[in-house]
Amino acid sequence: MIASISRAIDRILGRGEAAVTLPALDGALRPNRALDEADWRRPLPGVDCIAVHKGSLVVSAGQTVYRLAAGGAWESIGSYEASVSCIAPVDADSLAVALHEGAILIQGGRFDGRRYKIGSAKCITAMAASGEELYVANGSASNGPDEWQTDLMQCNASGSIWRLNLETGVETRLADGLAWPAGIAIAGSDVVFSESWRHRIVRVVSGGPRETEVLYADLPGYPGRLSSFGDGWWLAVFAPRSQLVEFILREPAYRERMMAEVPQPFWVAPKLRSGRSYYEPLQGGAVKHLGLLKPWAPAMSRGMCVWLDASFQPRSSLQSRADGNTHGITSIIDHAGETIAVSRGDNVVVGLRSPALGLGSSA
Amino acid sequence: MNAIVEVRNVTKEYHGIPAVKNVSFTLYRGEIHALLGENGAGKSTLTKMIAGVVQATSGEVWIDGVKAEMTSPSQALNLGIAMVYQETSLVPSLTVAQNIYLIDDKRFHRLRGIYIAGQQFLQSLNFHVDPTALVSSLGAGQKQMVEIARAVHHNAQVIIFDEPTATLTPEEKHQFFSLVARLKQRGVSIIFISHALEEALTVADRITVLRDGQHVVTDVASAFDRDSIVRAMVGRTLTNELYGSREARRIRPAGSKVLSVQNLSMGNLVRNTSFSVFSGQVTGVFGLIGSGRTETAKVIAGVLKRDFFHGGQVRLDGRSVRYRVPRPAVRDGIVYVTEDRKLEGFFETMSIAENIYLGAMAAEQLKCTTVNMSEMRAIAKEWISTVNIKAINADARVIELSGGNQQKVVISKAVVQKPRLIMFDEPTRGVDVGAITEIHQVIDQLADQGIAVMVISSYLPEILQISDRILVCRQGRIVEEFDADRADEETVMYAAVH
Repeated sequence: MIASISRAIDRILGRGEAAVTLPALDGALRPNRALDEADWRRPLPGVDCIAVHKGSLVVSAGQTVYRLAAGGAWESIGSYEASVSCIAPVDADSLAVALHEGAILIQGGRFDGRRYKIGSAKCITAMAASGEELYVANGSASNGPDEWQTDLMQCNASGSIWRLNLETGVETRLADGLAWPAGIAIAGSDVVFSESWRHRIVRVVSGGPRETEVLYADLPGYPGRLSSFGDGWWLAVFAPRSQLVEFILREPAYRERMMAEVPQPFWVAPKLRSGRSYYEPLQGGAVKHLGLLKPWAPAMSRGMCVWLDASFQPRSSLQSRADGNTHGITSIIDHAGETIAVSRGDNVVVGLRSPALGLGSSA
Repeated sequence: MNAIVEVRNVTKEYHGIPAVKNVSFTLYRGEIHALLGENGAGKSTLTKMIAGVVQATSGEVWIDGVKAEMTSPSQALNLGIAMVYQETSLVPSLTVAQNIYLIDDKRFHRLRGIYIAGQQFLQSLNFHVDPTALVSSLGAGQKQMVEIARAVHHNAQVIIFDEPTATLTPEEKHQFFSLVARLKQRGVSIIFISHALEEALTVADRITVLRDGQHVVTDVASAFDRDSIVRAMVGRTLTNELYGSREARRIRPAGSKVLSVQNLSMGNLVRNTSFSVFSGQVTGVFGLIGSGRTETAKVIAGVLKRDFFHGGQVRLDGRSVRYRVPRPAVRDGIVYVTEDRKLEGFFETMSIAENIYLGAMAAEQLKCTTVNMSEMRAIAKEWISTVNIKAINADARVIELSGGNQQKVVISKAVVQKPRLIMFDEPTRGVDVGAITEIHQVIDQLADQGIAVMVISSYLPEILQISDRILVCRQGRIVEEFDADRADEETVMYAAVH
């Protein structure tokens, strides 16, 4: 009783859990420019998701999946009737491709050409395979993959995690009521996913139906796709949190009016790339000094990938600050001693030596 | 220019430890002289000798060409020397005007008279302070103004300002510097102690830098820039003798995030600060006095309260906590080891055993709620040997111990609570060299045990030596973070003063 009264008072005064505050970018998340100083950069408009297929790097961009050819050029390996929302390797020879309207296609291998549809899922944000099982994150029940800003501004929590048996086509819902699950990984016998709007990484407790356990919470950005890296993990953080957005998220009337009356590019919302138009909010003294963008400005976009250890605690990070040019990291993998990140905000794929070999832990 | 104050080869020792060693200093008539140095460099001691607050162990002070033998501040005031302290010396239960006219020659004052005169006098200084207001109701900046007004009222020819701008808002600082300029025009000489280098470079005619109690350099302000001042302030050679080589240390990796401070604010002293503290690691917090480090730690520990609105958030192990008093913080495993041990650290008339036992009682770790003498003695015996407290026995009163041993009692009283997070505030202040090493060993052992340790210190070599990770605090917020193996004195000091 007292706790609920205390929570109500906190909501009125903006204190406790209702405080508009952000965790510090320090320790393992200390700002750096590693992404901007990457060893190589390969531009590709609309690039979004990355995977390794048949020993090569493949990326999705729009309705096409490309392979990075030996000379560094992008070579198309498949085009689809709708935009690709994510890709994931099923085994060494096959690739799962999810489309915007919710279909999952298998390209190559045992299940080549098969097409699956999970219930009414139409917002597949990430997939991970383990044997014949494909684990799927459905970001939202009401918004598509490109409508993530709308989903955030609606404070939606209608995402779900599914297990799909590729042999039988049987689908099982593992968790629901999630706030935009955007990344999924298999850690031993557990399914781990990132929940963007709640800024956390969660494990589905095996054996316990629909029970989850929070592994790491209160990230300073919106976590996206996960991929394995050594005995740990890479986590792409596609946009930063900001106090202004956190405040807006506590103001439903303002949000509704903003969504109804303001064009989406100018919403007070996180972005994959900001600072391109002077109509955007947060201009002026908050972000610029003598006309130059401050690296520490509370911009609406940023580049960030977090290296997590086996227990999902941050060990180090690769970043692009407010004035950098590698924002909106939607996917990251480790391949052949290199870490390759996809910057959807700046339409570029960047590669650099893996941290274990070069950067070390800054934590 | 003729000298109004001349200090010749003064030395001041406390219990045989020199705070100021063989320093000579000259203040010319009508000049503003900035006195700079790290905390503990001897600035305050030197000026207190000039103001008659402390007496030099050896050396001479000459005022206006006459050798002065001052034994009290009132004698110095009679010679035209007034000191405005960083921690104000006003009487909080008296009004502003009463404080200004407190030590006037008149035996009786008519209250209405001093209020009218006080109003006129404060207006002449352009200070917007109500002369009828109680000093206890004033903010830090206004108290500083009253201190300054009192010094000016006594027609002081030399005014010593000790960190005058540390608690002032930008607008108040602007007013203060205008006042200093007006005082200079009236021929008043000013000694100005500050950690804000840009203020010293802007305001001062000459600058003197002290380090480790010794004079380093004196020159006109135009001969300095920020870098040269920082170099003069930190370029020390004694560091390795006291603290050993940094290269020999192993930097511990961070464990899980124990404490997350988010946008914390408390008045003018803590301003929207954010940082994290991790388990199994020593997080050093460096900053100059007035940078808000102590206040931040006290808010975390429930000693002080953050701002009522927009005060920020403190998360312990991911859970938002807000302590109104320290007791629930102690129960949650947060312990703050105070910088002022005599006032807040121990009960001086109680024994070592009783003080340590109180720590265990506070954390509610004991089997019974009543005092169990045998348990108390057992705990005391264990901790006396663990931290090597040198005393006749556990029943010795803490007041009878040396500073280092008193500090060990305070630390034992804190560590016996088995904390998750322990915050040391100036853990080796006023402690002898041998005890410093032992205290550092205790801090190291705590971090090795997986406890999240935060050490606040104004002494750079100490921070560099014991920290695995260094945070720099300036003007109420954490402004920079360094890996311990990549930090050096100049870069850390640069971050602290810019």
